[in-house]
Amino acid sequence: MTSPGVVGRLWANLKMVIAGSTLRSKEIRFAFFLVLPALLIVGGMYIYPSILTIIFSFSDVDFATLSIRELVGFENYRRLLAEPSFRAVIWRSLYFAFVIVFVTISLAFWIALLLNQKFAGRGIIRTTILLPWAIPPVVAGVLWGQIFHAEAGFLNAIIYQLNLGSGNYAWMADTTIALHVIMMAEIWRFLPFVTLFVLAGIQNIPNSLYDAANMDGASKWNQFRRITFPLTMPVLLPVTVVQLTWAMKSFDTIFVLTGGAEGTRILNYLVYMEAFRYFSLGPASAAAYILLLLKIAAVLIFVLLQRRFIKGGIAK
Amino acid sequence: MIGKKLRKLTFYLQAILVFIIVAFPIYTVLLTSLQYDHDIRTRDISFIPSYITFDHYLTVLQPGHIVPVLDATINSFLVSIGAAALVIVVAVPAAYGMARNRLPGGGKILYALSAVYVIPVALFMIPLFVIFVGAGLNDTRFALIILYTAFLTPFIIWVMKAFVEATPEEVEQAAKLDGCNHIQLFTRIYLPVMRPGIAAAFLYAFVLSWVEFFTPLIFTAELNILTVALGLYRGTIDIQIGQLSAAAVIAMLPVVLLTVFFASRITKVMTGAETK
Repeated sequence: MTSPGVVGRLWANLKMVIAGSTLRSKEIRFAFFLVLPALLIVGGMYIYPSILTIIFSFSDVDFATLSIRELVGFENYRRLLAEPSFRAVIWRSLYFAFVIVFVTISLAFWIALLLNQKFAGRGIIRTTILLPWAIPPVVAGVLWGQIFHAEAGFLNAIIYQLNLGSGNYAWMADTTIALHVIMMAEIWRFLPFVTLFVLAGIQNIPNSLYDAANMDGASKWNQFRRITFPLTMPVLLPVTVVQLTWAMKSFDTIFVLTGGAEGTRILNYLVYMEAFRYFSLGPASAAAYILLLLKIAAVLIFVLLQRRFIKGGIAK
Repeated sequence: MIGKKLRKLTFYLQAILVFIIVAFPIYTVLLTSLQYDHDIRTRDISFIPSYITFDHYLTVLQPGHIVPVLDATINSFLVSIGAAALVIVVAVPAAYGMARNRLPGGGKILYALSAVYVIPVALFMIPLFVIFVGAGLNDTRFALIILYTAFLTPFIIWVMKAFVEATPEEVEQAAKLDGCNHIQLFTRIYLPVMRPGIAAAFLYAFVLSWVEFFTPLIFTAELNILTVALGLYRGTIDIQIGQLSAAAVIAMLPVVLLTVFFASRITKVMTGAETK
């Protein structure tokens, strides 16, 4: 397939706009005029600065003036990747993102299946499930911090009141637990979005399939395995990709809950620290591009896995 | 018969469990904000309160309080409404222009714009920060509005494009036969069709702007343009848990109310059920 690519298309449009005199090109000119503000605002705010940082990642940069002192080639990348602590952050980011995606999707599936049935009080649960979406991350930080508070948090109170222990465990002092508390907070935050999409996928499945399965006497579990799950896959793919990229860029929750303490940092947080605490823009840009590559790799893995899954599911 | 009842029972147990998972964390802040600190900072918390006090709310709403809740809320409103309005102004025409290949290659351009969701935020924040400081735009509401707008635009274009494309092409042809020119086609035929989507997109943009944390963290240092999402954090260090929770409830109240109020609409638009 020969595709001229985005730039080529844009250029072709531009030429048509310039040369335009026929009715169709008048229409195109109008359409271009409508699209232009969006192009300018998104391109200017994001695309141009992103290109600038590519150059930064290969340079020694002066923060105050944004000027490049000298080009250093792959030095920034090499230095980062040589550090064991940086590699640990990479592995942690992958673990963080994949676990969040897996748990969120499983929970979302469960909730969506419940919501897909008619029952008294469905409206209440439907509304409640949207709420985490509207809670500012700082408030989420306050509430999870309160639940896992060392002396008298809600979790400790529950443990104490149910006689399960003394209930004075310092949860957040343990970085492994703290990391998982952050993951939990993120899962809770993503749940509304993912549930809605899974629900949409389930509702798109024609009822006639289930009627046929019921006539054949298929069990509920088999109906889920052979109809619901494989047929929701087309919706799941974009949702997992979106969520994966979200999880990889978690920041607020970490910032509020642990302040990015060692052991709870993921790569995105590290980029922030390099750039806005140490003001070393070269390494920060390099780390950000490593993060981008990591994201692309993770997304590709998911796409390939799910392709195989969809084929397998339907072939059975 | 018993089997059916048992199934119903397990079903409701699951529903209750979902409710608890989602609602309990929110309930804890609410509870904390309505109790005196010595009744919260104890292992004998009564999860069903025996009294309610609004003292914390009265304290944090007083002028000159360490967390400027009232001012920050007003700032959040101004910034969120500004961003949501600007997104609509930019994204709605763009969605129309990109839909149905009106602009050749429009779909591809939209994919390119959506790349902002994959690129790590810090990548563009680093140069933007320096550029904004240089232009004196730092610590202004305008900076936040323009940044939010840029980030929300591609997504809102996706949402709005679905509305345009759900309109049967016959409608368009009929309008053209009636002598509609291409500008009237947009303003008279498609804008009305997009109206429910515009409302939902506005709401969506408003909520996302309201909860945004990273951008104000980087781009605002002055207290006078603090948004609530950030203001709370700045307060977390020196303030008692009850007051902090009261401030937190105030910070989330507007968006929670909006969400509850428009729950079914949000669900429909997000899942594409509205356009069918």
